[in-house]
Amino acid sequence: MPVRIWRTPLNIEKAKLPKAEIHIIKNQCKGCGFCIQFCPKDVLEESEEINERGVHPPKVVDESKCVLCSFCTSICPDFAIFVVEKLCEEEC
Amino acid sequence: MAEKQESESEQSGEEIRIGVYVCHCGLNIAGSVDCEEVAKFASTLPHVVLGKDNRYTCSDQGQELIKNDIKEHKLNRVVVASCSPRLHEPTFRKTCEDAGLNKYLFEMANIREQCSWIHLHDRKAATEKAKDLVKMAVAKAALLQPAEEIEVPIIRKALVIGGGVAGIQAALDLADTGYKVHLVEKEPSIGGRMAQIDKTFPTMDCSICILAPKMSDVGHHPNIELLTNSEVVDVKGYIGNFHAKVVKKPRYVTDDCTACGECAEVCPVIAPNEFDIGLAIRRAVYTPFAQAVPSTYMIDMNLCLNKENIIVCDKCIKACEAQAINFEMKTETVELEVGTIIVATGADVFDPSSQPNYGYGKYPNVITSLEFERLINAGGPSGGHLIRPSDLQIPKRVAFIQCVGSRSEKSGRLYCSNVCCMNTIKDSLLIKEHWPETEIYVFYIDIRAYGKGFEDLYQRAKKEGVMFIRGLPAEIVQDRKTHNLWLTGENTLQKELYKANVDMVILSIGLEPRKDSETIQRLLKLSRTQDGFFMEAHPKLRPVDAATGGIFFAGCAEGPKDIKDSVTQASAATARASILMAKGKVTVGAITPIFDPEKCTACGLCVKVCPYNAITLNEELKRIEIIEAACGGCGTCAAECPFGALTQNHFTDRQISAEIDAVTEHDAEKKIVAFCCNWCAYAGADFAGVSRIQYPPDVRIIRTMCSGRIAPKFIERAFARGAATVLVAGCHPGDCHYINANYHTQKRVERLRKKMEKHELDKERLQLLWASAAEGERFASKIREMHAIVEKVTPEEIERTKKAYEKALGEV
Repeated sequence: MPVRIWRTPLNIEKAKLPKAEIHIIKNQCKGCGFCIQFCPKDVLEESEEINERGVHPPKVVDESKCVLCSFCTSICPDFAIFVVEKLCEEEC
Repeated sequence: MAEKQESESEQSGEEIRIGVYVCHCGLNIAGSVDCEEVAKFASTLPHVVLGKDNRYTCSDQGQELIKNDIKEHKLNRVVVASCSPRLHEPTFRKTCEDAGLNKYLFEMANIREQCSWIHLHDRKAATEKAKDLVKMAVAKAALLQPAEEIEVPIIRKALVIGGGVAGIQAALDLADTGYKVHLVEKEPSIGGRMAQIDKTFPTMDCSICILAPKMSDVGHHPNIELLTNSEVVDVKGYIGNFHAKVVKKPRYVTDDCTACGECAEVCPVIAPNEFDIGLAIRRAVYTPFAQAVPSTYMIDMNLCLNKENIIVCDKCIKACEAQAINFEMKTETVELEVGTIIVATGADVFDPSSQPNYGYGKYPNVITSLEFERLINAGGPSGGHLIRPSDLQIPKRVAFIQCVGSRSEKSGRLYCSNVCCMNTIKDSLLIKEHWPETEIYVFYIDIRAYGKGFEDLYQRAKKEGVMFIRGLPAEIVQDRKTHNLWLTGENTLQKELYKANVDMVILSIGLEPRKDSETIQRLLKLSRTQDGFFMEAHPKLRPVDAATGGIFFAGCAEGPKDIKDSVTQASAATARASILMAKGKVTVGAITPIFDPEKCTACGLCVKVCPYNAITLNEELKRIEIIEAACGGCGTCAAECPFGALTQNHFTDRQISAEIDAVTEHDAEKKIVAFCCNWCAYAGADFAGVSRIQYPPDVRIIRTMCSGRIAPKFIERAFARGAATVLVAGCHPGDCHYINANYHTQKRVERLRKKMEKHELDKERLQLLWASAAEGERFASKIREMHAIVEKVTPEEIERTKKAYEKALGEV
């Protein structure tokens, strides 16, 4: 149906997507970079800091972009990252 | 195989007896041609035993006259000088057959579309030209040979392209008749535009409520195979025997889907829903609307987080109880064998952002009529509340602007879109029904309420207080704070300027040809009108047939129309397709090649140019073999053969040469000898006549099926006989009705023009024109241009040309 789409959808506010809380256990990370490479929303990037294992662990760029697919958790060989849904008391 | 010698009758010594009938066609021909004089002239031509003129040759009496004369005067050839053979050749061929004369012994001279109608004010020139055209037809007729047509079976299955209301109706009608139907739809669901519309005019029925049951019938019909998310990518073959390739894109959701919608609930990707013109959202896994058929959900892989076989996000998989999600699904190619094709590809809507004075795309409260339909629809993004996008409030003052993208030179769309007037009247009544206090202004050029029940609805809208103001606004300006809109323009009835302030503007946008119609056009060898919609075989008498046999039109693909007309046309197309399939066989024209094995050197040139691979080279026997059933009848092989081993039935070298000789017998130095292909250029010349476009009377058209039939020797012969100029005209490259035969035409003409340069002749005297069946004006201006060349050519140049090409003159 080739019609030009340009408006912001009127009901976009109503679309509730779960908000994520990303936890990185920095010292457990060995810097393989899988989580950064495979994140479909490009939420993570390599940080400047150096952890106990002498590598740069990932850092969160924009948490609001995370859609909680949790692929980073599945793919991390060192169990160094996990995501939980942010529980909101009110609107958040 | 066609290895018979032509001129059998000459050898058998049968006397050739031609009857010529010059038709007045009321005053259509007699108004500018002296038909009596033409008939008298015809009687003086060789082999002609009688020449008559009558008022309407195509009438019963006219046909009876021919039948009686065939018996009484032992006529064995008949020539009718009247309208275009594209109109009445089948009629008169049947007349001949009824009287026991083989139909290939009939010839026509086109003295209406290509003579009387284009020379309305020059009786003398028109009469002289008509005589020439009759002379050409008689010359060809004397050489005509009887031929038997071969019968090909028709596959009793149909392909319907497009699943809008027209395609749905066509598929259901065909399936109910008992034929197997493949319905191909590009989108994930059938339903088309009608599914997007809230109510229909003039009855104010709920659109989806009357459409959904039909959609469901399509989904369940045992005779219908529904292919959604699919596109036709290739069509080969001919009437009764089409071979189509359809690419079916994967849905990534199997038929086990129960349409519960749990997957969409959890899908984390949001995008604007195309079905709601982006006014509402959907997920990456979705169904475009609640009543979609098939109801199976699908995954939009452009949006889904999973790429290249890596399942990153498995939320939908986990949510689906039926386990219907399958990311392994692949694109499939489906091959279909069908006998008939119905084209129901629909229309696009005009994008008004190309008209900056109305501010669409810039001012949020300027919306299109299609957006309005989604807003007023209870299943739409606002739940049926007409809200304006800037503040989601219900507007108190609303303006409709008509003819946005219709009837305007500025938008390049000169035609009326047929549906917008009534759609606006319907929309205004819908607003009045829900919010009676709303002030409604309709700015229009003309209100066209032409159909059954339309005028009543128009009067009702006026009674309800809808204000109709004649004169479109020149511009819309937005108040920055309130987002209200100021419309300024001229009321052309009261001859005064207006300035109106409204909360929301609805642009009544027109319909336009689909952007992909060019692809369908190429695949199916169709023609399009200047507006870009598909062209029917005859505007009055074959309104749903394509010029290509076995293909029919339904709905907006052929031109803008409302739902009722689309459905009517779909049923008509079904009836036309059923006629073919019920018969189960069709005869194909006996215009295949005639082969003389003695002259063949097995050089293989014809094998290379045949667009249908109908000629093969037998290396052992050192000769070619022709598969007649596969032959399309373009004659390109005959034009290519350098040894004269091939010619084409009914368009033989001798017949075409006889026509050239007839044209150039007198005053050749003042004439344009034109070779036109039957489908585009000849039809374009006919269209110039139908449109009464006047152009100089110099041209004499020789018709062949394809411009690929025009051998260089024909052009050389015309020049050798002193013709001032020669025109070769065919379909636009890519539009050739014989796949690619016209590319050979181009090569041949270019080569000849180079040769002319070598001979120090003016190469402009040989022209090549691509003109479609709708381009009457293009054809006419070419003739005007060539008329100027004719006037410039000196007798000295003509003498030199005659010498240069004298070799082309010999016996064919």
